[in-house]
Amino acid sequence: MPEEQIQLFINDREVHASKGAMLIEVADQHDIRIPRFCYHKKLSVAANCRMCMVEVEKAPKALPACATPVAEGMRVYTHSPAALDAQKSTMEFLLINHPLDCPVCDQGGECELQDTAMGYGEDVSRYTERKRVVADKELGPLVSTDMTRCIHCTRCVRFGSEVAGIRELGATGRGEFMEIGTYVQRSLTSELSGNVIDVCPVGALNAKPSRMRARSWEMLQCAGLSPHDAMGSNIYMHVLRNTVVRVVPRENDELNETWIADRDRFSYEGLHTPDRATQPLVRTARGWESSSWQASLDVLARKIKQFSPEEVGVMAAAHSSLEEQYLLQKLFRCLGIQNIDHRVRQADFTDQEYMPLFPNLGQSIESLEHNNAVFLIGCDIRLEQPMLAHRIRKASARGCQVVALNSRDFDFLFAAQVNWNQAPQAWLQALSEIVKCIPDNELRDLPHELKEIVEQASPSMYARHIFELLSQAGTCSVFLGAMLDSHPQASALRALAAVLARHTHANFGLLPQAGNTAGAWLCGLLPHRLAGGVPNPDAGLDTTAMLAGPCKAFVLFNLEPEFDFANAPSALEAMQEADFVVVFTPYVSESMRSYADVVLPIATFAEMRGTYVNAEGRWQTADKAINPPGQARPAWRILRVLADHLGLEGFTHESSQQVLEEIKVQTGETTGFEGRLHESKMVQTQADPEGIYRVSATPMYAVDNVVRRANSLQQTPYERSPRVAMCEQLARELGVLEEDEVRIVQDGRAKVLKLELDPALPMNCVWVQKSSRQVDELGNAIAPVEIQRLDHD
Amino acid sequence: MTPADLPGTLSNYVRGEMDDWLSRYPVDQKQSAVLGALRALQHEDGYLKTEKMDAVATYLDMPPIAVYEVASFYSMFELEPVGKHTLAVCTNLSCMLCGADKIVEHLEHKLGIGLGESTPDGKFFLKKEEECLAACCGAPMMQVNHDYEENLTIEKVDRILEGLD
Amino acid sequence: MMKKIRNLIRSFTLSELLRGMRLTGRRFTSKKLTVRYPEEKTPQSPRFRGLHALRRYPSGEERCIGCKLCEAVCPALAITIDTEEREDGSRRTTRYDIDLFKCVYCGFCEEACPVDAIVETRVFEYSFFERGQQVMNKEMLLEVGAKHEAQIASDREVSVLDR
Repeated sequence: MPEEQIQLFINDREVHASKGAMLIEVADQHDIRIPRFCYHKKLSVAANCRMCMVEVEKAPKALPACATPVAEGMRVYTHSPAALDAQKSTMEFLLINHPLDCPVCDQGGECELQDTAMGYGEDVSRYTERKRVVADKELGPLVSTDMTRCIHCTRCVRFGSEVAGIRELGATGRGEFMEIGTYVQRSLTSELSGNVIDVCPVGALNAKPSRMRARSWEMLQCAGLSPHDAMGSNIYMHVLRNTVVRVVPRENDELNETWIADRDRFSYEGLHTPDRATQPLVRTARGWESSSWQASLDVLARKIKQFSPEEVGVMAAAHSSLEEQYLLQKLFRCLGIQNIDHRVRQADFTDQEYMPLFPNLGQSIESLEHNNAVFLIGCDIRLEQPMLAHRIRKASARGCQVVALNSRDFDFLFAAQVNWNQAPQAWLQALSEIVKCIPDNELRDLPHELKEIVEQASPSMYARHIFELLSQAGTCSVFLGAMLDSHPQASALRALAAVLARHTHANFGLLPQAGNTAGAWLCGLLPHRLAGGVPNPDAGLDTTAMLAGPCKAFVLFNLEPEFDFANAPSALEAMQEADFVVVFTPYVSESMRSYADVVLPIATFAEMRGTYVNAEGRWQTADKAINPPGQARPAWRILRVLADHLGLEGFTHESSQQVLEEIKVQTGETTGFEGRLHESKMVQTQADPEGIYRVSATPMYAVDNVVRRANSLQQTPYERSPRVAMCEQLARELGVLEEDEVRIVQDGRAKVLKLELDPALPMNCVWVQKSSRQVDELGNAIAPVEIQRLDHD
Repeated sequence: MTPADLPGTLSNYVRGEMDDWLSRYPVDQKQSAVLGALRALQHEDGYLKTEKMDAVATYLDMPPIAVYEVASFYSMFELEPVGKHTLAVCTNLSCMLCGADKIVEHLEHKLGIGLGESTPDGKFFLKKEEECLAACCGAPMMQVNHDYEENLTIEKVDRILEGLD
Repeated sequence: MMKKIRNLIRSFTLSELLRGMRLTGRRFTSKKLTVRYPEEKTPQSPRFRGLHALRRYPSGEERCIGCKLCEAVCPALAITIDTEEREDGSRRTTRYDIDLFKCVYCGFCEEACPVDAIVETRVFEYSFFERGQQVMNKEMLLEVGAKHEAQIASDREVSVLDR
């Protein structure tokens, strides 16, 4: 239904607006500037700063534009003497207590109060009384406070309750004693907490990592993309003398709106670390030696040719740019090497032939908030994709019902209707119970192993509830998350979820995890598919097979095996046992020095032009913001030169733009969601239903090598020491108590961890908390384990 | 969430009070009972303990900070431990004209504490800046715990103090 | 014809020379305008803009708060500043460099400074013998400030009305 349009006059200019809109919105749309502090277009109206006073004809006094709805024939004056008088008076009141510390304030130069004071403030204060002083609050490692500067607009408070979904800041006290804070001292825990820095109109809340580092006018603003999740959040990197000093959101209503997650905002700290690789390194008989690009690429070209193609494994990161990924697979395919993969956190590859062109959301990010029901399977969406979780939170505020099948209660910060907690080995059973509810049992398309399981299932209350919810919702979605990806029976679960989605007319979304997972699928960074999703007649090995099998030489691209692989210990072992390992990496770690033979320094996302494909299949390209350190170079350039050293044809690209054009020719700029997972014929159903399984998720701030080095993020409460959690009943059966140390044995590897009780965990399942800086010494994230009590003497 | 799930910090009295208030408001507006809950807490402990406010927040499905906001907004709520008996002398217009300042001065002198402080033995607490308590006809007046004492003189104040154990 | 003869007579009587010598003679006896530098020096205005200095408060605390306004206003881009939060939470510079070859001694930095930290002193006699010496760093600037603080302070007092 089209909204009713009305006509009004602002400053004698005729404007049209939809009924019910607030004056300030309409004025903004027509570029008529009204000063404001508490009003923010994405937050509710508070009308407490009184800065946006305007004169309205026939109104006895000036009215706040942010809380005055437009009316037919209204005549508004934003700069009349009466309006200006009201605005100047408000300004004078606001400046009574505001300190005059602009020269040391990080907000100086981009401060809304400063700007408005230039226009509406007097240069001399009439007040001789003391200014009030407010103690600063400690809000954790990301947000610094100077609360004396606060003007109590409550934008940060409203951001917490309305956007982040967790109200952590509040206004305590009243009148002159009102303070914004947490009352009891604690860190902000929201994963979007950095946005309070942007909404704060003054310098009360600022970014702690960049505190007092740079002034707003001296930084260059470079548009960029955040590669840490599949949102493709638009960012601006602020650069001072070739250093990224801070990151702020770049508004894009179709993606991240005006927000970004803390991971996108503070990951830049990982760009400037002492362990950046700055020149090529080659291992010689004398140990590690710095080398020239010429010499190191020669070594690489000579050595790699000594292995037969089947003996070489190429593994690349999903957060690398499309250009890098494409050239990498093209180059090694030219050498006949087919063992190429990026799925380093996946455990089950059985259904890879039936996967869609690329894992995708199945709908646009914007349309997420119009869902009436969302079913999350194996997904802690808030930690995996904070900005997608924000969209679902918006849907949830509209009445969307969220149900989840997981192993423990995740705090989504939106009300989940049902948290169905099942041990991972029982997920298959749980999903088949839901599928069993499909009335006419149209299960022809299912592989027979699954058909049997479904036929034997008897739907529980939970299963019936979820099924009914989805089938009655109208617009709804089923999303499969990162934990499902690392599940040993992922193929079977995917097949059942797809059937469920088809029969309930739900949108089916496989959430790609990293910033360019979708791109990696598109450009053929897979053993079984070439660029554009063309089946590879000569399919190579997947990650697990490469690590277990015949590979004697490895090419690691932008990866750290001890952190990035599903099975970290076996990945590390494979590297150490390999005859030859080449690492393309922005960082040289100690462990890399122990297994690598050639280390080639590459640029990070901020240091090169790169294209990334997000969860909805949107291609976005961002330019470089800074120069790479030392001799590090964008990897596509290195690969192109390497191709020359190897004497390969077809690598004549002069710019990354030419690489991108070549990719587009091969893939088409695919944005659609065609080729969903429909009829998987091969699934993995084997599991040990009796034993105890462990479940883990990659911590939010451990997803890639840059984030893991972002110091401030590593100090947030999300970074926890490794622990094992189980329910009380299981602890009693094993005879262990909270805070006890227990030994976990998985695949013959053992580790002692402290025990924590979590009543929401189901039986036969333990949660192993991973840490960003410690290697998971056990292995796969979801796998059978044995728990042993430590007997003290 | 049922009462049994709570950390056992709330007494039956406080819970009863809250349930009583809850029954008067719509089910989806549980936060309406927060003032009643805080009054009950203060009555019981003499001030508002943070852990108990957290328990109230859980009980009423509110973010803890929202409870702190209410608690810190009203000057009647104490957030720190105070003396057993609260003496609140009205210093607003009518009482001031009738000599409230002298009463305050006398109390400060006699108890050896300033406004907003408690005696070291924890017996008396002199409330700061009490606003009009709507007993102007009996000015000057003060509130002793929950009772009004009107038409104060210095002698009367002494008598009242002696009467408190 | 007459003109030629007159010119001839003038050149033979050396009248031009004598006229010139008359000026020399007058100056020879009149009061001197030049000074015998370096023994003597011309007077300087309290607003003289010479070598830069960074000042300290009498307590010894450096004045500069790292606001970078001088860096922003400098038309020659001669100033480079890095800042950081000091342990006590105050904003301080970790680097304050002035390239004296770039500097045009316009005094804008002095005018922009909200705390009178960067000043231009009366010192104008300095020289460099090696490339790179023209960059004054924070320590050097503070040293100049310490050396001339009395003069700097009295100059600011006198010229406060001009600012």
